[in-house]
Amino acid sequence: MATTTGPAAEPVTIRRTYRKSVWLRLGEALLWLLLIGIAIIEIAPISWMFSTSLRDPKNSFDLPPDFWPTALHWQNYLAVINSPDIEFMLFFWNSLKIALIVTAAQLLTCSMAGYAFGRLRFFGRDILFGLFLASLMVPATVTLIPSFIIIRSLDLMNTHWALILPSVTSAFGVFLLRQHFKSLPEELLDAAKIDGAGYFRTYWQILLPLTGPALSALGIFTFLASWNNFVGPLLFLRDWDKFTFPIAIATIRGYMGSGNQSEVLAGIMISIFPLLVFFLLAQRWIVQGAAITGLKG
Amino acid sequence: MTSTALPDDRIDRQANPQKGTTLARREAWAGYLFATPALLGLLAFTALPIIASLVLIFLHYDLLTPPKWAGVENVTRLTTDSRMFKIYWNSLRLTVGATLLNNVLGLLLAVGLNRAMPWGLRYLLRTSIFFPVMTTTASLAVVWRFLLTQDRGVVNFLIGQIGLDPVPWLSSSAWALFSAMIYDVWKACGYLMVIYLAGLQGIPAVYYEAARIDGAGFWQQFRNVTLPLISPTAFFAIVISLIGAFQIFDNVYVLTEGGPGDASRVIAMYIYEKAFRGFEMGYASAVSFTLFVILITLTLLQFLGARRWVHYE
Repeated sequence: MATTTGPAAEPVTIRRTYRKSVWLRLGEALLWLLLIGIAIIEIAPISWMFSTSLRDPKNSFDLPPDFWPTALHWQNYLAVINSPDIEFMLFFWNSLKIALIVTAAQLLTCSMAGYAFGRLRFFGRDILFGLFLASLMVPATVTLIPSFIIIRSLDLMNTHWALILPSVTSAFGVFLLRQHFKSLPEELLDAAKIDGAGYFRTYWQILLPLTGPALSALGIFTFLASWNNFVGPLLFLRDWDKFTFPIAIATIRGYMGSGNQSEVLAGIMISIFPLLVFFLLAQRWIVQGAAITGLKG
Repeated sequence: MTSTALPDDRIDRQANPQKGTTLARREAWAGYLFATPALLGLLAFTALPIIASLVLIFLHYDLLTPPKWAGVENVTRLTTDSRMFKIYWNSLRLTVGATLLNNVLGLLLAVGLNRAMPWGLRYLLRTSIFFPVMTTTASLAVVWRFLLTQDRGVVNFLIGQIGLDPVPWLSSSAWALFSAMIYDVWKACGYLMVIYLAGLQGIPAVYYEAARIDGAGFWQQFRNVTLPLISPTAFFAIVISLIGAFQIFDNVYVLTEGGPGDASRVIAMYIYEKAFRGFEMGYASAVSFTLFVILITLTLLQFLGARRWVHYE
């Protein structure tokens, strides 16, 4: 780069001073080793799980372990799906239903409030928004007990409403979308006003389509958080037919974990398979979203 | 006159301040309407619970019989609860260890991944390291339970291959908390990597060019350009990992069940057990309130300390 701007002698000096020393090479080699080593450690448990889920249950505990499928005992998957005691696919449906409803509800309520706080003027707006910001500081562990009492007094124990209602909105989502609505140019709203668009049309047809990245980031991580939620189902759900995947798997392990590792792992594979597909398809947005929002599943 | 292109009522509104006020009123109504769904959610499931938990601290309530006034009994009981202090000590060790490892690894991985490499390799490395972040903590803890079993576990088999003795990962009080930390780092370091990667990509390349022209080597560039300019990202990352690690629950609940004894029990589990196994709602609220105070204090301290080491451009 310096060749075009600097004097003719400069590039030569740069090259000399930037020559790779032994230490630098060693450091780079270590960094590569770390990167590849960690990548292997991160993926090994998952490939072990997949390989073992395909073993004949008789050999499921045999060593050495497989990190690549050596048997293709797909019957384990069928055994889990067709298990007589528990309807495994019902957990899939429950998890999916709750996650979709929660995600849709949050996208709607957070973007509406984001529009109100970011773009409309009304008395008390900043105080109300301050309430949302303050509630970001409150750890979920603290509201656990009173939330339980509230759900119980609303007679919603052992229903999916107990998981949906507390998640219909999130202070973080309101904050994120308010920032995005605020960053859109004022001219856009003026133009909408001049064209006679009401508040709802301005929100729905003009601003919402422009907040795509923020909405998709919020949507992805809301979905993940709901899909992976463990404490909620642990507190509120009692019956097998209401269970979602995380609580079902933790419970199944107690049942049959000592006898049949392969089938438990097949169950876990089924529960994370949708995440895997989703991740491979939408990796760019997920990784970007994680960075923008500071949220994780 | 070009202004006649505007509809008549617009001109009216600009000329007539009276109509402007109705507009302002309409805007206010719209504001309240749009904010209402989120506000109701906030009131019912955050504000009300906070107030309720403050009240609960002063009650004895077991869910079955009506609540009884307890005065400050729950609060004084905190000071003598030696089991709670022991569990807080576990939480603290787990939090510090996990935060430190996650952030150091996350930053190093990000620096490694941020350099020139073939597109396919970058994709492969990033996918492998980030994927565990997406998976269910409770379910993958079941997988790690199998992996860490003492007798026929995979991890002990592998370390046996290099001549080490089997380690009682989950069954010994010396190792259980450490195992929970390993699991947390396995699960979360990819997430920190992504955050640091975004931070690194936000550093303008001109700083590195300038440093190179001044003859700075790799280490000097890292020390004098990367570290100061990544410090706002690091601050954010450390704050959220501390808050997250202090509230670890699913991980330990499934992996070690807090055992052996109390060796790996963490504070969120203690609160859960006091409330939903012992049905001491009042006392559990008091304990959860101490957690709240600790987290707020930690966050404030970090914001104060940040002036010393966080550099904004």
